[in-house]
Amino acid sequence: MVATFTRPGWYRAALCTVLAAAFGVGLVVLLRSISGLPAFQSEQTGYPQVVVPLILAPLGFLLGIGCFDYWLRWGVGARTIPEDHSSHGAYSWKDYFKVNTDHKVIGVQYVVTSFVFFLIGGLIAMLIRAELAQPGTQIVGAGTFNGLFSTHAVLMIFVFIIPMFAGMANYVLPLMIGAPDMAFPRLNALSYWMLPLAGIMFLASFLAPGGAFDAGWTGYAPLSTGAPLGQSFFNIGVQFAGFSSIFTALNFLVTIITMRAPGMTFWRMPLLVWANLSTSLLVVAATPFISGAQFMVLLDRVLHTNFFQFGAGGDVISYQHIFWFYSHPAVYIMILPGFGIISEVISVHARKPIFGYRLMALALIGIVVLSYSVWAHHMFVAGMFSWLRVPMMLTTLLIAVPTGIKIFSWLGTLYFGKIHTKSTAMLFALAMIVTFTIGGISGVMLGMVPFDIHVSDTYFIVAHIHFVLFGGSVFTIFAGLYHWFPKMTGRMYDERLGRIHFWGTLIGTWGTFIPMHWVGMDGMPRRVADYAAQFGNWNLMISCFAFLLGAVQLIFVYNMIVSWRFGPKAPANPWGGKSIEWLVSSPPPVFNFDEIPRVVGGPYEYGIPGARHAIMPGEGAEIPVTRETVVGS
Amino acid sequence: MESASVPLPHGAGGHAAEHEHHGPPEANQSSRIDRQTLGILLFIISEVMLFGSFFASYFFLRVVVNPAAWPPHPFELPVGVAGMNTAILVSSSFTIHYALEGIRKGNKQAMKLGLALTWLLGLTFLFVQINEYVHLGFSIRTESFGTIFYSLTGLHGAHVFIGLTLLTAATIRAFRGHFDKEPEKHLGVEVPGIYWHFVDIMWIIVFATVYIL
Ligand code: HEM
Ligand SMILES: [Cu+2]
Repeated sequence: MVATFTRPGWYRAALCTVLAAAFGVGLVVLLRSISGLPAFQSEQTGYPQVVVPLILAPLGFLLGIGCFDYWLRWGVGARTIPEDHSSHGAYSWKDYFKVNTDHKVIGVQYVVTSFVFFLIGGLIAMLIRAELAQPGTQIVGAGTFNGLFSTHAVLMIFVFIIPMFAGMANYVLPLMIGAPDMAFPRLNALSYWMLPLAGIMFLASFLAPGGAFDAGWTGYAPLSTGAPLGQSFFNIGVQFAGFSSIFTALNFLVTIITMRAPGMTFWRMPLLVWANLSTSLLVVAATPFISGAQFMVLLDRVLHTNFFQFGAGGDVISYQHIFWFYSHPAVYIMILPGFGIISEVISVHARKPIFGYRLMALALIGIVVLSYSVWAHHMFVAGMFSWLRVPMMLTTLLIAVPTGIKIFSWLGTLYFGKIHTKSTAMLFALAMIVTFTIGGISGVMLGMVPFDIHVSDTYFIVAHIHFVLFGGSVFTIFAGLYHWFPKMTGRMYDERLGRIHFWGTLIGTWGTFIPMHWVGMDGMPRRVADYAAQFGNWNLMISCFAFLLGAVQLIFVYNMIVSWRFGPKAPANPWGGKSIEWLVSSPPPVFNFDEIPRVVGGPYEYGIPGARHAIMPGEGAEIPVTRETVVGS
Repeated sequence: MESASVPLPHGAGGHAAEHEHHGPPEANQSSRIDRQTLGILLFIISEVMLFGSFFASYFFLRVVVNPAAWPPHPFELPVGVAGMNTAILVSSSFTIHYALEGIRKGNKQAMKLGLALTWLLGLTFLFVQINEYVHLGFSIRTESFGTIFYSLTGLHGAHVFIGLTLLTAATIRAFRGHFDKEPEKHLGVEVPGIYWHFVDIMWIIVFATVYIL
């Protein structure tokens, strides 16, 4: 009986969560009565008796589930349990609900968890479109509507796109560089377990008095500093999501720098590895800024400090500077790993080496450096220093150059390639190039100060962000999921359902987001529950396409679940890839390799007779039979 | 197997275990720097940026808003006391260095002495700081000045606390005889040491900005 609550696991987690929350309430009550204040305070921005437990309870959960056990034992000088690898690898579905240190298990945990949040966020989007299908009020009031679009964006950004990329890279990146695991497996597990906590916290804000946080995903002060309690859920949830991604990024960087297989020089790394290297640099150095910004809002809300209180010497605009100094780099955090995925998929299915491989890697680094210099292009109408506008316009136009290099390089790779569209992954990759380019072009338009002033806070912005985030990031996520599904599960998915899903998604995306450009330029404001009657027909059409887009995602879910269970067994290398993850079985062995492979060439030498990327242990000169040997001969 | 590495976990020790598989292969070491040191350096970059966001706020509140009086009348900052506290923290950087030099040469006695001294100095710093808070006379709600003063020094204080936690673990293990001369056998002192130097340097920057400028 006692053992149930002392062993790491769900029972202990539940116990510790409750204890930590109770401790938080007690602490607040105690401190407040010492200072002679009433025990509970329920002004809408206050509620310390909720805010403090909200910070402590997740920590209690992490402690209970077993994320800190090893470190605590180490810290008090106790014997650390011998490394018996018992928390490594998954032997039944139950192992996915435990703290596991295997990067492959953590990868799957990440992918599945963030996909669940994608479905919830998508459901909220359907509600938004139902409300906007006609002018006037349909199903929700204006207040609820604000909560809906805010939670939609926050779920999609912080607990879907960013961690989804982290999850896919978690799975394939160590395999690609020939590492047995990530550099810090326990830290990796901790990063994962913070993710569901952040997502649940965002969703739990619906239960708070005053409703979910409703100041948008940007949470601008002073709207956020005066908002009801739900806003504090956002402030705190972002901290957990933020720490999760900082620790993962740190882990990726250390893994990539110190654990590459012999022969894997930087110029032999697959572009997915390069992409995650640059993304991680962005995360490590930029994410603390959103942490800082949300801490400040939380302090203003709960302790009534004056960061953003104009009357007491605070500076309202400073919130936006600090926020965008993270959040512009964040948009690249949301696309660079996707660029990596597209490079992998395109070169495998076009059977050609990446055109301008080194330039591709350098372009990534260029984007990383430049993305710290453009933040104020989100603030052209905010009333910031007017002298900052033109420099920001110039840097914004400049950053389109390395992005353009990537696009042209993919086109160069496709040019005269043997393009196979047998795989849905390739369809999504090709569609992403086109769709993302449109989003990139509208981005450059927005970088022009006069045009941006015209369309600020209209549906044109919504069109831009969805062309880059849905047509960009989400398409790359689907490309990646289809591409590595056989590797992760050891099964093949149904290509026909994949195709239906692809065409439905493509038509749905374009149908939904193209018309938003027109209504935006005509002045339909974003983030408002109602609109002028003249936009009615366009919006009805947008909503119909949006429902199509939502519905076809169910086909994807069905395909993935059924194929995972009943799909035909996948060969080790279904697409004829060259990088190391394709040279191990599907799914890979528990410890990835018996011996570390040796890297002898570049990762993309398709069609070059006799070219090898890596030699696996115990392998003589014989080359595994893949499509390459058939196609290339 | 008793391991004397830092709390950050190892990828794969390569210890054979009674499992249905043997352990993972040893990873290839593709860089001269070890994982733990690189990890803490990257973490420090993140920490510097976190401070950076608060320094950015400081810049806006003081330079952009440009209030008439900084600090507002009639308050004054006890530069003398804080300066003394700075000296305490700076000297703790020397004692941790002494501890590290000691263990690098295999002198466990020096390591223990250095660690214990560092720990005490860090704790003294925190106490002096809290005492200063009590006697300042203004609060975190006193204009933007009070807000940024308490948040910058408080953020730093929180980092002293994290550093002390790491040092506590290192000290306990040192007294239990877990560290040794070989580089990989005293990473558990090296890594908290690097972090402690960061805490120290950060304080000098905070002190110079908040108290002197
Ligand atoms: C060529 C590259 C790009 C350029 C030049 C660009 C430019 C801009 C500009 C100037 C704005 C501000 C519009 C305004 O609020 O008035 C903006 C907004 C935005 N961009 Fe981009 N962008 C680019 C690529 C991307 C990418 C790759 C992503 C994400 C994957 C992205 C995501 C966003 C988001 C989310 C917003 C809206 C922020 C909000 O909620 O206000 N952009 N972009
Ligand atoms: Cu931007």
